Amino acid sequence: MNITTDKFKETARQELANAHTQKFLQILPLRLASRRDSAYQSFPDPVAAHRYGQSIRDESIQRLPELLQVFETNAIANGARVFWAEDSRAANGYIVELAKRHGVSYVTKGKSMVTEELGLNEALTQAGIETWETDLGEFITQLLHRPPFHIVGPALNIPVEQICDIFLQKGVIDAPTTDPVALGMAARRFLREKFRDLQMGITGVNMAVAETGTVINVENEGNIRLNKSSPRILVCVMSLEKVVPTLADAMHMLRVLCRSATGQAAGAYISLDSGPKRSDEIDGPEELHIVILDNGRSAAYQDPKTREALRCIRCGACLNTCPVYGKVGGYPYGWAYSGPMGQVLTPALQGLGNTGDLIRACTLCHRCKIICPAGIDHPSLLLYYRYKDVVGDRALGGSGAGWRERFVHTLLSVAGSDHRLWRLFAKVARLAANRFRSGDRIHSMPNGPRGWFSSRDLPALPAKTFRERWAQMDPKKN
Amino acid sequence: MKRVSLFIPCLVDMVLPHIGESTVALLRHLDCESTYHCEQTCCGLMSFNSGFRNEARRLARHFIRVFENDEWIVSPSGSCVNMVKNRYLELFDDDPVWFARAHDLAPRVYELSQFIVDHLGVEDLGGTRHAKVAYHESCSTLNALGVSAQPKALIRSVRGTELVELTGADICCGFGGTFANSFADVSTALVRQKAQYFLDSGADLLVMCDPGCLLNIQGYLDRHHPGRGAVHLADYLAGSIGDKTQVAT
Repeated sequence: MNITTDKFKETARQELANAHTQKFLQILPLRLASRRDSAYQSFPDPVAAHRYGQSIRDESIQRLPELLQVFETNAIANGARVFWAEDSRAANGYIVELAKRHGVSYVTKGKSMVTEELGLNEALTQAGIETWETDLGEFITQLLHRPPFHIVGPALNIPVEQICDIFLQKGVIDAPTTDPVALGMAARRFLREKFRDLQMGITGVNMAVAETGTVINVENEGNIRLNKSSPRILVCVMSLEKVVPTLADAMHMLRVLCRSATGQAAGAYISLDSGPKRSDEIDGPEELHIVILDNGRSAAYQDPKTREALRCIRCGACLNTCPVYGKVGGYPYGWAYSGPMGQVLTPALQGLGNTGDLIRACTLCHRCKIICPAGIDHPSLLLYYRYKDVVGDRALGGSGAGWRERFVHTLLSVAGSDHRLWRLFAKVARLAANRFRSGDRIHSMPNGPRGWFSSRDLPALPAKTFRERWAQMDPKKN
Repeated sequence: MKRVSLFIPCLVDMVLPHIGESTVALLRHLDCESTYHCEQTCCGLMSFNSGFRNEARRLARHFIRVFENDEWIVSPSGSCVNMVKNRYLELFDDDPVWFARAHDLAPRVYELSQFIVDHLGVEDLGGTRHAKVAYHESCSTLNALGVSAQPKALIRSVRGTELVELTGADICCGFGGTFANSFADVSTALVRQKAQYFLDSGADLLVMCDPGCLLNIQGYLDRHHPGRGAVHLADYLAGSIGDKTQVAT
């Protein structure tokens, strides 16, 4: 996958100017957020259910190294083959090699963010192995060579006319139609052919259960079920934080995951796989490979603060509630994970080098923190990243603040430690700002904050500060 | 009579001092005696949010020294209160001495409407002001402090005031401190949306509890919808009780 995290502002500007994106963004987050809210009401005690989910994630992350070992032992006992991939290269290499060894000409995939993270499709294609996304939204974005726009609906923003054009071009349909149902059916028919004689299927993992060695997937379209049951070889790719201690924990997490993601009490299909097909079973893969992906997570785990990002269960509730995502959509975040989820995960996994805008593209409104079923404190984490960036932290790849910014904050802290200096500072600031006043407003300041004045005025600074007015107030009246 | 220490944020001190005066008027109306430490400067919010923790620590230590002997500390700014009440603990998480001092101070710091309603137990100031108003939920006030019912109760108690429903009342106005400048396009889109919701609500005034949001929303209205006004809760309520304290600028 082409990583464009350094182009946040540029892509955001394009999306803000894209009338279609804007129209779509006005509907989607509100609708999903209200569905999530009403779905949560179906819990006997929504607050307790939310907190219980957070505590499960808490335990999962606390015990992560141990749980992964238990998971591996149990998965192997079930007959699965477990491969620990240190990075995307190792994971892609393993999967490509597996496909080549079995002479596989094409693979099908279920929707998975972790394989977006890996850039697996490109790796397979480069190795001459055809790759078919089988989730409808992913199928569309794949044909259009576009990244996912939203975690739950990767192609939700694509106009139906564009889908019709690309389907015609790729031979999915013979005659033009903009009927969504007809387009969906055509894609389904097209992809069913791929499942018919399938040698290798690839899916992600929503949850992995340590006590049973089981991998769980949730979906609404049924394609993951086909990806898991029809091929001879099944590869399930999981990022290592997906593990939970027990099946009971997984069941509760599924309840909060589905409610948070799509406002459903449960997805239409939930599949639990513990090992490959057994001798007395009629379907299922002969080989089950579980790829456990690190890709920077162990390093993130070392720091108790960045470790928090690994709580994420990829429900996407934070996207739907984020005011910034609600204006710019998923593309500006530049990698597999968008919205607040991406803003905490991407810097943890990739470092701060190209994610300086991601960690600052936030008004710290706290809505993501409140809604997160995994208990992530996004604002606190973003503030931590900013700190690490400003001080040029080596481990996180911080770049250090520029001299201008450093000067402003040094001045502020020095002046702010002595009220006489502070008073002087206030006077100078007033004189400097009011040079540009026109009437009681300031419309612009050369060399001032251009971003601010691009759409806003400032009030001219009053002749007397509160401090000075206080001195004039009648003490008896106060 | 309660003695209340005024925590006047730098934005209010330098740019919007009338909010400070209204705060004094309201407290006096409620039989509270205001005191003001002239040594106070800035709580460090801006530096902390920008990642300059060492600089923020310096400001925070100054703040704690100035205020730590006060019984009640009240501020007309949700975001600054959140900084002192909650973020100071994060700022000093590796410094046991200052952590303890911040921890000791935190429960005595109140956002203005929170102090009036939760602490003084007053929901009706007995004022009168004829206006149709909408209430904007500032993010720090609502999401970080959990303050929302308090300001709305106070607005509703004003005779002649109608509090109308505001679509997207709890969606951020796009201020976010330096965010408004560094991410000007996104911030503008958000404040434009907020202004539109306000205009659509049919209210005459948009009331809020955070000077930052006020600067942002009023700045946008002045540029694009002159004559339309946003107002801080303290100013709105002080107006309803016939405050006459304001010193001419």
